[in-house]
Amino acid sequence: MPRGRLDPAPRGHTARVDRFQYLILMGLCLAVTLPLEFAFDARVWRRPRRLAVALVPAFVVFVAWDLWASATGTWGFNPEYTVGVTLPGGMAIEELAFFLVIPICTLLTLESVRNAVAGRVPWAGRWNA
Amino acid sequence: MPPVYPTLALVAAAVVVAAELALFRTGIFHQRAYWVAMLVVFGFMVPVDGWLTKLSAPIVIYRESDTSGLRPVWDILAEEFAYAFALLTLVVLAWDRAAGLDR
Repeated sequence: MPRGRLDPAPRGHTARVDRFQYLILMGLCLAVTLPLEFAFDARVWRRPRRLAVALVPAFVVFVAWDLWASATGTWGFNPEYTVGVTLPGGMAIEELAFFLVIPICTLLTLESVRNAVAGRVPWAGRWNA
Repeated sequence: MPPVYPTLALVAAAVVVAAELALFRTGIFHQRAYWVAMLVVFGFMVPVDGWLTKLSAPIVIYRESDTSGLRPVWDILAEEFAYAFALLTLVVLAWDRAAGLDR
């Protein structure tokens, strides 16, 4: 292969991947916490209606706050690490994923701790609550 | 005028506490599991929020004059912890209030 053709390719490839950094981070959060659903029988993903109701209030309030803070410039998003799709005012579309993913991770953690404390996780023993 | 982000983050945290005491009444603040879970989540918040806001290659960039300027761990703004407490506690309150669904 001629050098001239190969050299720019890796750099361009890295830059493309970098624009997915925020989304990849959210994907990792989901992947790392998914085992809690089964290992600790968290039953968050398996209660979809309850989960939806739990997510809505915080999603509405914090997306509104985010739209405002992005529009006024309190915070902004690095175009190098985001896909470049924004809502009016400049809020990165990734933020919508954030306000779903991080709450789901938290509920998986909470229900896992509850089950462990209550001795409902056979292999984890009882935490003597 | 105090900087807007820490001010609003503290207000949000206070509002969520007031919402539990006056409205949701789930009793969450008396549950050990809630505090243990929050401790775990705040632990994982360091790598995740740290990656998002690290000054060396930030994904989210703040207008410095709107922040406290206090970045105690891995460049995470101190007010982010109040923000996270408000966001995640509100989620937990709604989750527990919706306990009757999907039994």
